[in-house]
Amino acid sequence: MIYPIKILKKEFLIYSRKSSSFISPVVFFLISISLYPIGISNDPDILKNLAPGLIWITVLLSTLISFQNIFSEDYEDGSIELLLASGQNLSLIVLIKIFVNWIFSCLPIIILSVLSVFLLYFPQEGLKPLIISLLIGTPTICLFGALAGALSLGKNSITGPALMLPLSLPVLILGTQAINYSLNGINFSSNILLLTAILIFLLPIILFASVGALKLHFN
Amino acid sequence: MFQVLKNFYHKLGSFPWFYKISGKVIPIVGFFSISLIVISSIWGLFFSPTDAVQGDVYRIIYFHVPAVSVSQVIYYSMSVAAAVFLIWRMKMAGVYIKSLAPIGAAFTFIGLLSGAIWGQPTWGTWWVWDARLTSTLVLFLFYLAIIGMQSTFTSRKSADTAVSIITLVGVVNLPIVKKSVDWWNTLHQPASISISGGSSISSEMLIPLLLSILGVYLFVFFTGLLFMRAEISSREQNKEWFKKLSSNN
Repeated sequence: MIYPIKILKKEFLIYSRKSSSFISPVVFFLISISLYPIGISNDPDILKNLAPGLIWITVLLSTLISFQNIFSEDYEDGSIELLLASGQNLSLIVLIKIFVNWIFSCLPIIILSVLSVFLLYFPQEGLKPLIISLLIGTPTICLFGALAGALSLGKNSITGPALMLPLSLPVLILGTQAINYSLNGINFSSNILLLTAILIFLLPIILFASVGALKLHFN
Repeated sequence: MFQVLKNFYHKLGSFPWFYKISGKVIPIVGFFSISLIVISSIWGLFFSPTDAVQGDVYRIIYFHVPAVSVSQVIYYSMSVAAAVFLIWRMKMAGVYIKSLAPIGAAFTFIGLLSGAIWGQPTWGTWWVWDARLTSTLVLFLFYLAIIGMQSTFTSRKSADTAVSIITLVGVVNLPIVKKSVDWWNTLHQPASISISGGSSISSEMLIPLLLSILGVYLFVFFTGLLFMRAEISSREQNKEWFKKLSSNN
């Protein structure tokens, strides 16, 4: 059991020492959030209605910056090959990598999304569903990102995002709907439960598929 | 019976056998599919009655419904082939997915386009963000991702495996997409034909529609065989059996 903990520690060290891994999504998020009022309108009423969708789409797009970090450096320095040859449980290692990637690329954005109360005039009572839906929805998106990253390793092509974004559609719909429901006084717990169900259902499938995709690159 | 099926399945995995058999089947299937499409188009466009509500515009149904239904069937058949490829490493399944993906994408596109042309005069808009349209668009994007992924791998086997993985993940996700957009927004008229509940259109319109659906399915079978033959000949061009075959002709 000590091996996964070592991997976890190593991943944490790598991410925390490479500041760009968590700064670039945050910068992207802040820039886009402050561009919306300039590009669309500075009318609080318009922004208030658009805010749930805008925040969710921005979070989705900012994961596009980070999803290639999950495997690409390990692929370039050869450590993935060593992990594959080590005979350890690969699904577990992939899960740890996705988890650490989520902590460093998604968690800061989720915390920063509170800023939308000031910048997008997002109503305060909507903050609870916003944070909960992001906390449960973004891990699923990171899973898709891991699969897309594993498939497009070493290739700079549009196929990664082209695969990831259509897959993320249900999460986007359910997430924004949860916020809109709660703003209109409707109970949003069913949407949160569905997001959780999607996460639990897809977790083993995507882990299995990502391991298969990683093995492809080393025949 | 089971033995015969098993035998057929094993034979299907052999490229020379498939190449030989498909060469005999293609002209027959091609003849029937094209004549069915021609007959059903003429019947549907000129002889079936005009719709009471929508007028003559409804006649695009004879292109729209077959295209949309076949586009989904192709995707599900591809996912079965993907499972076969990942479990039994049957090379023919890889050929199947690679050959059928562009056909499926083409029919999804025809479905979306004919739907837009139908929707403009009937509902006054080319496109609405409605559940069925959105899930068909997502299906189209999946097809594009599959086709795009083909070209990023240099090794044939890796490309086939990658594409199989995407196809299976897509087929797991498609029902979720469908359900979630269903709850999100629905405007499209409900399906006109269903296997269990009978159909909501009159038999004079239904018969040419069923003929056109059959014709399009046969057409997909026909083009699928053609594409698979082309793919096999490009993969096996240096093999002994293929050289012998082409030197005979």
